Amino acid sequence: MAVNETGTDYELPCGRIWTLWDRLDSADEHEATGPHCATARESLLALRAATAELVAEPEAVPPGLLGRIMSAVRAEARRGQMLDLLPPEPGRAEVSEAAVAVVLRYAADSAGDVRACRCRVRTVGVAPGGRGIVEVELTLAVRLGNVDGAETLARVRERVTAAAAARVGLTLAKLDLLVEDVYEDGE
Amino acid sequence: MTTTELDDATLVGRARDGDVRAYEQLVLRYQVPMLRLAVKMLNHRGDAEGVVQEVFLGAWRKLAQLQDDSAFVAWLYCSMAIRCLNVIRARRLQADVDLELAEWPRTDGQPEHAVQANGQLEALNAALQQLTPQQRGCWLLRDVHGRAPTTRSPRSSG
Repeated sequence: MAVNETGTDYELPCGRIWTLWDRLDSADEHEATGPHCATARESLLALRAATAELVAEPEAVPPGLLGRIMSAVRAEARRGQMLDLLPPEPGRAEVSEAAVAVVLRYAADSAGDVRACRCRVRTVGVAPGGRGIVEVELTLAVRLGNVDGAETLARVRERVTAAAAARVGLTLAKLDLLVEDVYEDGE
Repeated sequence: MTTTELDDATLVGRARDGDVRAYEQLVLRYQVPMLRLAVKMLNHRGDAEGVVQEVFLGAWRKLAQLQDDSAFVAWLYCSMAIRCLNVIRARRLQADVDLELAEWPRTDGQPEHAVQANGQLEALNAALQQLTPQQRGCWLLRDVHGRAPTTRSPRSSG
């Protein structure tokens, strides 16, 4: 390769080295048969073949690597504020904003044609009976080509509201849905 | 709650929100290329695994500083290259002897594959270790990982 820490110039006597690498598959007659170019081209083809092998070389990931990384990550998890669930029974129950966000994002995803992105949850009060009241801002990406945007968002609203009540025990006072991006199928 | 089919930017956005599962998907997706880059840079699997752990943990800690979710992977590669160069620099300081002798202990973590590898690949691996760390990093990023080496890291506020 044309990298050298001493700054030595790799130019061939015929002056073509820099074009050879870019035109390995479309060499002109000089590059294919010239004494300098042909030799250099052969070497570059060998380099390309070896590089392809290197790219394809299997990389065995030690089985514990993912676990070690995620243990460290979980130890520093950003759970956000704790939301009080105020259960009717004696004792206290709290759930983290991050956990609520996971549930709500999943509910939004299940509406189809959208992907939930950021989710902000904020406690604003307590309903009679002790259930927490929250406001949620959910950022979405919508599938490109989705022709019923309003219906899709209504579906998201319905599922997120239901999930907040049924799966976390919170009442949604306000749900802001912000469509911030689009995505294509297979993306 | 599967997140396996989501694109990187969506997973990054969720991870930034504190979604550990989304981050786990990103780690699963990129641990192999990150390890491959580190192994080739450092020529030492133990060191490479340590660096991969540090880079993924560091990225988790600094996710909030990333302004563009779609720049996460470039940011990851950049962090990995910088971290590897720091390890090499530290080795150099520690050894304080001839660079060629101290820097590249020959440790092939996959002997079964090494046996199968042909001469060209072995020659390429050997040649890689003759490059300076910066040159090696540039070549690996461009020709093996398909990244365009840059001198600046992707935008982050930190």
